[in-house]
Amino acid sequence: MAYSTKVIEHYENPRNVGTLDKEDENVGTGLVGAPACGDVMRLQLKINPETEVVEDAKFKTFGCGSAIASSSLVTEWVKGKTITEAMKLSNTQIVEELNLPPVKIHCSVLAEDAIKSAIEDFKRKKAARADAAK
Amino acid sequence: MDPFSTLGLSLRFDLDVAELERRYRDLQRALHPDKHTQASPSERRATLSKAVEVNEAYRVLRDDLSRASALLAAHGVNVVSESKADPELLMEVMELREALAEARATKNDAAVATLAARVKALEDATRRAMIEGFAANDFKKAALSWTRMRYLRRFVDEVNAIAEEKENAAARGV
Repeated sequence: MAYSTKVIEHYENPRNVGTLDKEDENVGTGLVGAPACGDVMRLQLKINPETEVVEDAKFKTFGCGSAIASSSLVTEWVKGKTITEAMKLSNTQIVEELNLPPVKIHCSVLAEDAIKSAIEDFKRKKAARADAAK
Repeated sequence: MDPFSTLGLSLRFDLDVAELERRYRDLQRALHPDKHTQASPSERRATLSKAVEVNEAYRVLRDDLSRASALLAAHGVNVVSESKADPELLMEVMELREALAEARATKNDAAVATLAARVKALEDATRRAMIEGFAANDFKKAALSWTRMRYLRRFVDEVNAIAEEKENAAARGV
């Protein structure tokens, strides 16, 4: 199976690889895995607590080229978006952009799940702070 | 047909490897085309497709992971859809993979070996848990062990890739 040029491009030059401080109250961390293939993906978002705009995004993925490309792509996409906009991101957009074949669709699902769980983590932290302030 | 039935073995995870090999060889011999030269074309086709099925069953049963998922499937458990990994496992796996990537990047062979040994111990423990799960017909436990084993296998694949890379570099005289 051949990878599309876009997948190869992201795979060879992945954007936003790295880590953010997961203890930072404005950083949401999403950690997801694909049991079918054993891939793991960690995606982190730094979110402005006032505007809820994603200011930074980093990822680390141990997996195939498509999983790396999917996570690289979504970190580019979500930067500058509000978390409400980012939550609307769907894996089909990733599939279309990267031209993923059917056997690699689960990689795009993984990236979508990672974004969502990072946002949920941020929201959880924010809610916990609000509770503590009461 | 499930691979166990194809090879005439009982449905169990910790099967007798010698028995598996013997069944496979016997069936392969019996199904060999040379033994069916007098058969009709449709019989020969049936024999051939049976031989393909036997090969596939053997391939599945030889490996812990694929044997376990076949066994779970035979009990109606779809291992992939029913194994939502728990965050703790993912965190552990992520940590191991990061440490391995670091050791690889810094060419720290000792660190790679230490990590590989640690994962080998984890794999052994997971295999024991899987045997226990199947023995007690606790398929939930078996499925959890399967997921764990799947992630650990990917780590082992990576260790093997590092070793291969080293060998290739040595062969090139680097």
